[in-house]
Amino acid sequence: MSLSLVLLLSSMGLLLTGLVGIMAKKHLLRIALAFTLASTGVNILLVWTGYLAGRKAPIIDASIEEIATVAVVDPVPQALVLTSIVIGVAVSALLVVVAVLTSRELGTADVRRMRNLKW
Amino acid sequence: MRTFIAFLLALYLVFFAAAAFESFGEPQGLGRIAEHYAAEGFEEVGAINLVTAVVVTYRGLDTLGEVSVLFTAASAVILLLSVFPLGKPANKPSSIVLLTMKVLPGPILLFGGYIIAHGHLTPGGGFPGGAVVASAALLVLLGCTQEVGFAKWLTFAESMAGFSFAMLGFWGLLKLGQFLNNSVLFLGIPGQLLSAGIIPLISAAIGVKVASELSGILVAYRCGGGKE
Repeated sequence: MSLSLVLLLSSMGLLLTGLVGIMAKKHLLRIALAFTLASTGVNILLVWTGYLAGRKAPIIDASIEEIATVAVVDPVPQALVLTSIVIGVAVSALLVVVAVLTSRELGTADVRRMRNLKW
Repeated sequence: MRTFIAFLLALYLVFFAAAAFESFGEPQGLGRIAEHYAAEGFEEVGAINLVTAVVVTYRGLDTLGEVSVLFTAASAVILLLSVFPLGKPANKPSSIVLLTMKVLPGPILLFGGYIIAHGHLTPGGGFPGGAVVASAALLVLLGCTQEVGFAKWLTFAESMAGFSFAMLGFWGLLKLGQFLNNSVLFLGIPGQLLSAGIIPLISAAIGVKVASELSGILVAYRCGGGKE
């Protein structure tokens, strides 16, 4: 099994788990956890798009013997993922705060019992 | 039943995502932009770590925007928690936490500083290094019983870091007519610690900013000033 396939399968698995969790779980913190799982899956998917089998990390040091353009993987998705991870942390922090404050306001963290917005 | 329906729905979405990515086919080489970065990046910006070169200089403007997104999220958290404070931590920290919070923050800060300073040489840079530094703040906050002293410096550090990132960009604009131009400082010998123009400086600014924002979020959760 190639590394590329492992990356793709694990990203799809995480994305699937996260989406199911967001839709089916009832506790707000579990939904927040599922959200972070899904965003990890998306990050791995982005890294996979820049992966080229048999190439090295995009750091041009003495271990790169050929011309760099045929020796390293794509640095652009990795740079994108670097920022995406940090944004993910900040967004999940905000999500957890909203979840905590909502559950305190309504006296429950169970989404089935939050009926204020239902018509 | 509900989980099963959710699973089918999610499988449907993921299947289409997989099919879309499959239609790209296996990538055969670098794209045109990535090829330019790989071929010229070493000469142009003097950084051996191409990821940092892309994050900090080539797409530095995006990083500036991304840092503002982080700032917005952090201020939303801090605003919400200062209006609706969570109150004092209920449980007392254990003796293990109390001991490690006296011993470990120093080494953690040193390691975070090392990651930030070597961003243009090894995998790392401002974002991961800042997160490592914030983990030292997390350790201190786990063991705190009252308001921590460094909380009031976080806003100051955060705004100074953001300001200096923007100013380093304008330095390039004034001197060479290009925002965030990396050649305003000497490029040095690639691979050395003092090289790669303004990349180490911007890495340091991003590191301070990320560290103070993440610690600001953590302080808002626990042991912040706030209105009790």
